[in-house]
Amino acid sequence: MSFDLNLGLGMSNLGGGEDNNYDVVIIGGGPAGASAAIYTARADLRTLVIDKGLTAGALGITGKISNYPGVPGPVTGAELVEIMRAQAESFGAKFITDKVVGVDISGERKMVMAGTGAFYTKVIMLATGSMGRTSVVKGEEEFLGRGVSYCATCDGAFFRNQTVAVIGNNDEALEEALFLTKFAAKVHLVVPTPELKAREALAAEATTHPKIEVQLGTRLKEIVGNGQVAGVRVHPRGGDEQTLPVTGAFVYLQGGKPITDYLMAQLETEPNGCLVVDKEMQTTVPGVFAIGDLLCTHIKQAVIAAADGVIAAVAADKYIHGRKAVQTDWK
Amino acid sequence: MSLLQEADRNHLINEFQALTEPVKLVMFTQEMECQYCRETRMISEEVAELSDKISVEVYDFVRDQEIVEHYNIDKIPAIAIVRGGQKPKDYGIRFYGIPSGYEFSSLIENIMMVSRGESGLSAETKAWAANLQEPVHLQVFVTPTCPYCPQAVIMAHQLAMESEFITADMVEAIEFPQLSNKYQVHGVPRTVINESTHMEGAAPEPILLGKLQEAVA
Repeated sequence: MSFDLNLGLGMSNLGGGEDNNYDVVIIGGGPAGASAAIYTARADLRTLVIDKGLTAGALGITGKISNYPGVPGPVTGAELVEIMRAQAESFGAKFITDKVVGVDISGERKMVMAGTGAFYTKVIMLATGSMGRTSVVKGEEEFLGRGVSYCATCDGAFFRNQTVAVIGNNDEALEEALFLTKFAAKVHLVVPTPELKAREALAAEATTHPKIEVQLGTRLKEIVGNGQVAGVRVHPRGGDEQTLPVTGAFVYLQGGKPITDYLMAQLETEPNGCLVVDKEMQTTVPGVFAIGDLLCTHIKQAVIAAADGVIAAVAADKYIHGRKAVQTDWK
Repeated sequence: MSLLQEADRNHLINEFQALTEPVKLVMFTQEMECQYCRETRMISEEVAELSDKISVEVYDFVRDQEIVEHYNIDKIPAIAIVRGGQKPKDYGIRFYGIPSGYEFSSLIENIMMVSRGESGLSAETKAWAANLQEPVHLQVFVTPTCPYCPQAVIMAHQLAMESEFITADMVEAIEFPQLSNKYQVHGVPRTVINESTHMEGAAPEPILLGKLQEAVA
């Protein structure tokens, strides 16, 4: 057995301690989340931003930006996000790198469960963007739990000494591939794009790891098997299709759909799956706001997302201080 | 040597101030303690030390056959979380395998829930459970490194609270490979309902309810 007996891991999940209590927890640290944090932190609200990583979102992987008002540029998306974060931090907002796995919005004291622990808060802002997947590949649903997984830390131990595939190009895919090397004999990293879209150091570590074989510019076509995953059919750009014999397929692909899975259907949506919000960006649950690209009726521009964040921040301040009327000015 | 760290102990002492009814941890191990039996016993004992509302009873899986049968324990390490005090009640909440890593939070959450005597499930789910007339056995397979698993474990245990007919087990998949094989567990959380139906992942309450309705239809 290889799992860590460290009870500290579990303990940190209990939360509830003074350090885990916030006025505002913002999920997603892109332009919407960071802008909201600038305003809430400046209004003396104890603010936490939970983000998967600088290059996890749409802006983080954008190459050159020259049209963000006040920032002539050109700057990279990651640089622009860093400027916003530094500004929010200067007002006291705290940023952590983590993945949110669930929220409980049933009470006034709301809970956000992340990998490293539970956080309690009066207000939750959802700013997770819209890089969720729109479709699944053939075989993916059929073999879910039979070799298809979305969580290497959860399921890695079932693939000891086996050959597995990780499909994706971002930080998360690379981190999970590296985690799987602790168990698996070999990890095929199937990258759909011609290059990785991840932090440089992480990319270097993954591409030079003796157990990881990287295939750039290669699309996942199908997950095949008979009761269990037996392989992944892939198509390298300009090459012939091939089937890699693997028993596990860990999928971390992205698309253009709002990321709302961690909400576990606790919020009202429109028939098309989009979250319902009012003009202050508040969802149908008081104290829960949604901002930025997550709202699918949106113009997907950083400056619009930032403005959403500010509108929600103003409303959150009023919500927390029990004021009935939401005013549009900020004093 | 203590398994719980000082800061964590202090945090839990504070959390346990909210306990109302007494809770009993009925722990099963054996003389030659199995892998993780010792640690599971130590966790139970150390948690019980943190509040006078929590007690622990340790039994031998081989010698204490009567108790083993009473609680219907079929593997160790095992913990049954029951309401103690004047009105003791066994809701059918079980942990098989060590509640470490993320599952430690499931253990604590269950202690709080049993003490409160309120599952927190929706009125619709409670109504379904109240009308149930046949046994439902939920087995939630987990690994200690799975952040999604406590949601599935806690929901199964919430259901167990709502009906005499429902029993719910957390099963640590790596410690019980024969069960993982039997139920073809290659990913967690995986909830097995009455041997026949299964569900992948930590699903929202309405989806689990749908699966349960399907399983007992």
